[in-house]
Amino acid sequence: MLKRFILIRGIEGLMVLFFAAIPLMVDNSFMLGLLTLLAIYAILLIGLDVTVGYLGQVNLAQAAFLGLGAYTAGLLVNNFEFGMVSALAAATLVGLVMGGLLAFPALRLEGPQFALATLSFSALSATILNEWESLTQGALGLQIVRPPLFGMALDSKGFYWFCLLLLGLVWMAMKNLLFSQWGRAFEALRDSPIATDAMGIGTYRHKVAGFALGSALGGLAGGLYAFNFEYLQPHVFVYELMVILLLGVVLGGRKNLWGAFVGAILIVLLPNLLSNRMLFQIFSAIGFLLALGAGGLALYQKRTRPFQGIAPMIAMGLLVVGSFTVQNTEDWRKAIFALMLFSVVVGLPEGLMGFAARFLSKLFSIDPLPFASPSDLDQVLVKQEVDGSPLLQLQELKCYFGGVKAVDGVSLTVASGTIHGLIGPNGSGKSTLVNVVSGLYSPTGGSILFHGKPLVQGNLFDVARQGISRTFQNLQLFTELSALDNVMVAMKGWYRSPLPLVLMGLTGKNEKQAEADALALLEMVGLANQARTPSKDLPYGAQRFLEIARAVARRPTFLILDEPAAGLAHPDVTALLGIIRRINKQGITIILIEHHMDVVAGLCDTVTVLDGGKIIAEGKPDEVKRNPLVIEAYLGKGSESASPVTVCLATPSPVPA
Amino acid sequence: MRKGLLSGLLVGLLATQAYAANSIKLAITGPFSGGSAPMGASMRDGAKLAIAEINAAGGVKVGGTMMKFDIIERDDEAKNERGALIAQELASMSGLAGVIGTVNTGVCMAGDKHLQQKGITKIITPAAGSDSMTQWIKAKVKDLSIFRFAAHDGIQAAMVVEEAINRKYTKVAMLYDATNYGVSGRDDMLEQIKKQGNKLQVVVSEKFNIGDKDMTAQLLRAKNGGAQAVLIWGIGPELAAVANGMAKIGLKVPLIGGWTLSMSNFIDNAGKNGNGTLMPQTFIEEPISPKAKSFIAAYHKAYKVQRIASPVSAAQGYDAVYIFAAAVKQAQTTDTKKIKLALENLQEPVHGVIATWKKPFSAWNPADVTSHEAFRREQAVMGMVKDGKVVFGNDADRKRLIKNATSVAGKK
Amino acid sequence: MDQAVIIQMVVSGALMGLVYALVAYGFQLTFATSKSINFGQGELVMVSAFFSLTLTDLGLPYYLMIPGGLLFGVIAGLFVERAGVRLALEQKSEGWILMTIIIGLFGFSAAENIWGRDDRPFPTPIPSEPIQLFGISITWLEVSVAVGVFMIMAIIELFKRKTLLGKAFEAVSADRDAAELMGISATRTIMLSYGLSGLVAALAGILISPITTVGPTMASVLVLKAFSVAVVAGLESGFGVVLVGLFLGSLESLTSYYVGSGWREAPGLVLLILSLAIRPTGIFGKAVIRKV
Repeated sequence: MLKRFILIRGIEGLMVLFFAAIPLMVDNSFMLGLLTLLAIYAILLIGLDVTVGYLGQVNLAQAAFLGLGAYTAGLLVNNFEFGMVSALAAATLVGLVMGGLLAFPALRLEGPQFALATLSFSALSATILNEWESLTQGALGLQIVRPPLFGMALDSKGFYWFCLLLLGLVWMAMKNLLFSQWGRAFEALRDSPIATDAMGIGTYRHKVAGFALGSALGGLAGGLYAFNFEYLQPHVFVYELMVILLLGVVLGGRKNLWGAFVGAILIVLLPNLLSNRMLFQIFSAIGFLLALGAGGLALYQKRTRPFQGIAPMIAMGLLVVGSFTVQNTEDWRKAIFALMLFSVVVGLPEGLMGFAARFLSKLFSIDPLPFASPSDLDQVLVKQEVDGSPLLQLQELKCYFGGVKAVDGVSLTVASGTIHGLIGPNGSGKSTLVNVVSGLYSPTGGSILFHGKPLVQGNLFDVARQGISRTFQNLQLFTELSALDNVMVAMKGWYRSPLPLVLMGLTGKNEKQAEADALALLEMVGLANQARTPSKDLPYGAQRFLEIARAVARRPTFLILDEPAAGLAHPDVTALLGIIRRINKQGITIILIEHHMDVVAGLCDTVTVLDGGKIIAEGKPDEVKRNPLVIEAYLGKGSESASPVTVCLATPSPVPA
Repeated sequence: MRKGLLSGLLVGLLATQAYAANSIKLAITGPFSGGSAPMGASMRDGAKLAIAEINAAGGVKVGGTMMKFDIIERDDEAKNERGALIAQELASMSGLAGVIGTVNTGVCMAGDKHLQQKGITKIITPAAGSDSMTQWIKAKVKDLSIFRFAAHDGIQAAMVVEEAINRKYTKVAMLYDATNYGVSGRDDMLEQIKKQGNKLQVVVSEKFNIGDKDMTAQLLRAKNGGAQAVLIWGIGPELAAVANGMAKIGLKVPLIGGWTLSMSNFIDNAGKNGNGTLMPQTFIEEPISPKAKSFIAAYHKAYKVQRIASPVSAAQGYDAVYIFAAAVKQAQTTDTKKIKLALENLQEPVHGVIATWKKPFSAWNPADVTSHEAFRREQAVMGMVKDGKVVFGNDADRKRLIKNATSVAGKK
Repeated sequence: MDQAVIIQMVVSGALMGLVYALVAYGFQLTFATSKSINFGQGELVMVSAFFSLTLTDLGLPYYLMIPGGLLFGVIAGLFVERAGVRLALEQKSEGWILMTIIIGLFGFSAAENIWGRDDRPFPTPIPSEPIQLFGISITWLEVSVAVGVFMIMAIIELFKRKTLLGKAFEAVSADRDAAELMGISATRTIMLSYGLSGLVAALAGILISPITTVGPTMASVLVLKAFSVAVVAGLESGFGVVLVGLFLGSLESLTSYYVGSGWREAPGLVLLILSLAIRPTGIFGKAVIRKV
């Protein structure tokens, strides 16, 4: 505990002291200029890392937010005599609001479209800053005088300490945020947006919030930038700066505050690094040896694809050759950036600090904080009253894809407290049916009643908020998160904390409670001792169980299990039966899609059989098994004499039926 | 710790580089890469040529010893941020005698204040818009260590407007690029039109962006407005796009503009469409005097070129170094503050390639930028593009310069 | 303003728009097979143009230089696929966005140093003298751009429909998994698409260079417009990019005439953000069904 505190907080404290003390030890205005810029860029990159690292999107607009923030602060000081703090607050606010405005349309997009939208935004804001001459002076540039801080004029040393202080505050706030439910939600939506919605966490709102937050930091950094240089021109905040910022984040290490800091150091120092030939040769040689060592080792142990090992070696080799042969290294600046970025992205995807963190964690092993003791399961899943009344009613539900009638007029009632089986051959419409109910697809026709009232349609998130939770036929775990975090993130709706408290780190009690509850659920599915394992490293069966635990963490009244037994070994199937019964015992109504007839027979109170999008039979499992229509649907015509359906009839199809 | 290592490096990087003790440390800064590189690099090469000549002759005699020049080269990449950092670096260097350079106004605006704070002498050359000097008037500084050695935009704009009036035009179109340089050039030209009696009517005033290749819209408006000449202020290849666009839409009027029209990227890309284009020049790559002849030959030889990318920049860089050296000699020290005083009151004339400079600067007058400006109207001539070269636009100028060169006495 | 001016502006804008469309078409080719595009396409255009210029400088006649330049484009396209895209696609990540930006950056820097930072004229036998057509002036060069754009697009579309290889291309575009089950190598088809995309980029470079001159930054604005065109039209429809390209080109031209030339870039950018917000799959694109 103490060791942990010393190693983590202690290093942070020491670094702050060290950086704060430099101007006292060395009197050098150039150094001070670099350090100030370092602090400003660190804030900017921490903001950029929210989108690039945590949300996993290529964001090309951060330079624009830097510019918008800078101009806001500058103009307010020039025209309305704002003080330092109020101008910076305004710059941050502009970043937040503009970020939010851009995020609303842009974040409905994925990958390349998002990158393009942000790229256009940058170009557009540069155009506006340049063209709106009456306000911004356009290309002539805006001269600004650094305003006083609470009536106190800041010299360059004072301003540096002020920037450092802000960096410290941003650092702590971001740390608190990223290690809270918010941070987990950011990572969850990157891994599986669909599951994030289905767990009622809300993909879209978190994306918008994350992006706006990152942009706000961009705005803040912009304000500081304006007061540092005291002169602004629109053409500064364009694509080239953006590429350099991406270089900083990626090279330093994504999803890592230290990574952003190291990235900022790199950005600030690179021009000096390049102008000093000797230093550059040493650095490129170190890089080459690193690529050779790390790549070679990984190749030898067959941990990586040949390309991933060899390409960085070639790139760094080129850099070494270049460092000795090229006349003027500064001319090749962009190519050098490119080679370094290429090597890191291919060979060291977690960046320098990610790599260093792995290395350091071996060197100084820090014991993780002990877990809270698991809560009582009966308190986590409070027993819900059931009365056998209709909970979910489908009336003439239809869902067509073009000419394909995947669900064609299904009427069905699920009584509260029951386990309702849904079976049928491949392509019979089972998965489509539950996808419509859970809001993934919009129905073509018909209605859905839940608790006797119409259920929202075509929106996973809204449906989830009504108390309907689900698992997926093809697993949709948050692969990068640990088993425990997978469950905890689904409790977000349950343990809500106001954002200001989260930023100040005052939500520890809630966190502990959520952790204890999540452990209880992991215990229920038999994964308590693998709570820290990243979910992608769990065995297949365990992943299925984890999805169930996660779905239950929502504390739903209604649970959809989409082929939970698919691909499970026999002992796991037995365990699964126990888990489903245990969940049902707490009063949670379950709809179960399954191919394993013995699972269905052993669990379900009622079974509905679908074929070709229509119901062909319904009743107790035993009756359904003997129904000739069902046998025909599964085995084809002319097999009347065949025995009741008892075997696993088909492998699950990879596409929704 | 990796971070510790890096911060250690941070300190290491800043350790003053070792230079000979008995030397004059002169920093040359400017954009040596990027779009403004032809100007920055030509200036640097011209300056280095002068330094090589001085060093080859043993250096400058200071306090009984011959001191050679040591060059500190810094590429500001035409970026304000780099400019500010470089200025901070130079300001914290010990024993720096002075700074020569800068092309981009923004770089001056962001950086020069750090030099001024420490009183470090800087000669701005080959360019930079009016703001680079007028900012000091606005800031009401009493004592200034920044000088400018360039035909400032005011002179150039005056010449451009004068040329249009002399040619009896009444309607002109004004085109300028969307940079500080272009926009302040537009303002200077408008002011000059007013000053010279409002004889020109500006029928259109249009902007173009860096990288624009299609100027049809702007030029069509000029054509429809009945412009008799296009007055243009910009840098680089867009100027050529304007010349080519004029040929395309059949706008057969002369192009008159800032000195950047003499740069190779205009002349080459405009080809025959560039013929007849007029621009003020401080130096024409024509061996009209022995001094000019030897300079041109030495430059071609040293840098293995047939033509100087920006002759004006090269010549200004060359002359600036000689003026600086004269100030060092007069001050008898490498103390930058004393060099500044010497510059403000140079006793001996300096025989440069552009002119013979006699008292180019005077003590700073907070009401008049020209006290720190070397160039006057006489040092500039009208140049004209003719078949891929810049020649004298008016033969009278040529004769005047030849006469000046032979009589050796430069006028102030 | 009189009508002749408007027509002149529309025509010259539309001709530029065709070049946007051609570059955008290059995006479509790769997007169809791999759902990825080359963010460094502009640099590919530029480097190919420089290479072609070098061929000309070496004394190769114009019509021999073209195949040389196109071949270079194909090789460069294949390089981008191998070095920047394949790994990310194998990992099913969006790493290719960053990787193609990086490769573009390298190409930019290499061009700056190999061929210089200045813009250079690109010689061509096609006359650049304007001709008068119904009161508007237009140059043979511009006509050659239009002819080139339509020709190459027609050839590639025919290739996709009429040849076996082309049909494999269409199959992978339609359903990659199913095509692989049928024994079509998706990897090779993606390589093919990147090669074709490189070819299209090289042609765009060769066509536009005589008008705009060749320089490291020649395509940086062009590619931004091409992004807009590709996204607004949707990354599926070849016909769509031509229409949107023509529209955007004329719109820009009219904007710079009536609003002010500084705002020239604005309509494309606004159009892009709007279309992304309203119809992310583009006007001519197809809606995607989310699968779980």
